[in-house]
Amino acid sequence: MEELINKLKKEVITQLNLEDISVEDINPDSPLFGEGLGLDSIDALELIVLLEKNYGIKIEDPKDGKKIFFSIRTMAEYITEHQKKA
Amino acid sequence: MTNLNAIYINGLGNLSPQKTTDSSHFLDEVNRVQSNRLACIEPNYRDFISPDILRRMGRLIKMGVASSRICLADAGCVMPDAIITGTGLGCLEDTEKFLTTLIRNNEELLTPTSFIQSTHNTVSAQIALLLKCHNYNFTYVHRGWSFESALLDAMIQLRNGKASKVLAGGMDELTNGSFEISRRLGLWRMKPADTFELLKTTARGSIAGEGSAFFLLSSAQSDTTYAVLTGMNTFNRKASPVSLPRLLSDFLERSGTGPEEIDLAVCGLNGDTSSARPYKELTGSLNNAGIAAWKHLSGEYMTSSAFGLWMASMIMKKQQVPEAAVIRPPGAKTIKTILIYNHYLDLNHSFILIRKP
Repeated sequence: MEELINKLKKEVITQLNLEDISVEDINPDSPLFGEGLGLDSIDALELIVLLEKNYGIKIEDPKDGKKIFFSIRTMAEYITEHQKKA
Repeated sequence: MTNLNAIYINGLGNLSPQKTTDSSHFLDEVNRVQSNRLACIEPNYRDFISPDILRRMGRLIKMGVASSRICLADAGCVMPDAIITGTGLGCLEDTEKFLTTLIRNNEELLTPTSFIQSTHNTVSAQIALLLKCHNYNFTYVHRGWSFESALLDAMIQLRNGKASKVLAGGMDELTNGSFEISRRLGLWRMKPADTFELLKTTARGSIAGEGSAFFLLSSAQSDTTYAVLTGMNTFNRKASPVSLPRLLSDFLERSGTGPEEIDLAVCGLNGDTSSARPYKELTGSLNNAGIAAWKHLSGEYMTSSAFGLWMASMIMKKQQVPEAAVIRPPGAKTIKTILIYNHYLDLNHSFILIRKP
């Protein structure tokens, strides 16, 4: 899990061009939106694409997004769970 | 034909392949390179834009926002009544990124950011968003007369009293992709050229360039006024040896200016033999005027006339033609009237006339 979390942090930094943020700066349990990293709706779309492109996971119901993209850890948990099912 | 008498250029902001962001220096130290393309000297954008906003901006947007901020600061203007831009090809970097992803991913998995940033009006929109400016906002995409179109609209807004301070600018960026495509069309020199020798050598093709220049135009003169924008005319067809002098003569007559009053002609000479004729004919009809050129400093691009107007405005204020730009020194002690003449591929021609305030 920790390995996946670190990988995700790097991918999020690259995808969202978070120039001033390093892997160490991101708390895996902090909210990605609003407080924490302060991401917005455009970033949410970028993260949906990231999940599909890098992990082959397509989010069918947009309502699930809020839970999946709450933090880096929830993203990692969702990916792990999805990969187990596959 | 637009002929106005009281439009003042009160602020400048220019980001170019030369050190032009600091108005206290005027091409006194010129970037001389051996190449067939010139790239902008870019500032630290964090001096102008906060990092959280900067991360989403493509290169042309950064260039446009930075140069507009320099211009507004130069004029001491906090909120313009209108923001009007012109761009030939818009945000190419983001367009290329978006289209490449579209092809590579078989029209799926498209990220929103590069699409959002790829539209031509993103620069003027971002300037407005950062200023929280809800006033008139327009972008013209008219190939080689995009900047002139923006300028014309700015003049109309001012003349009709709909605005008293207009931020107008022209910008284009050069990417590897656009350079390669236009190189295949024969627009650029096959071999790298010495920028200082470009206008002296005879060969097909020019050097590619890029830049973003903004002007704060106002109906009122101020302490920062550079020049009075007296008139502008454009025509979009090939210039014949008969039509060009006639068009110039008509333009000057409507602007209330005799050809003998032109102290300096600032021309868009670009070193390409196939585009030299109109410049030769025009300068040949202005025997009393000095001649200066800018494209060996900026490179050729669709909105390079914005660099030409910037250079002419600086010349007018400083009463000095930079050594690197002189083709024929002006005879007059005081430069009172400058004609800027440019054409893009002998298809989009423009005359701009400025006077000493």
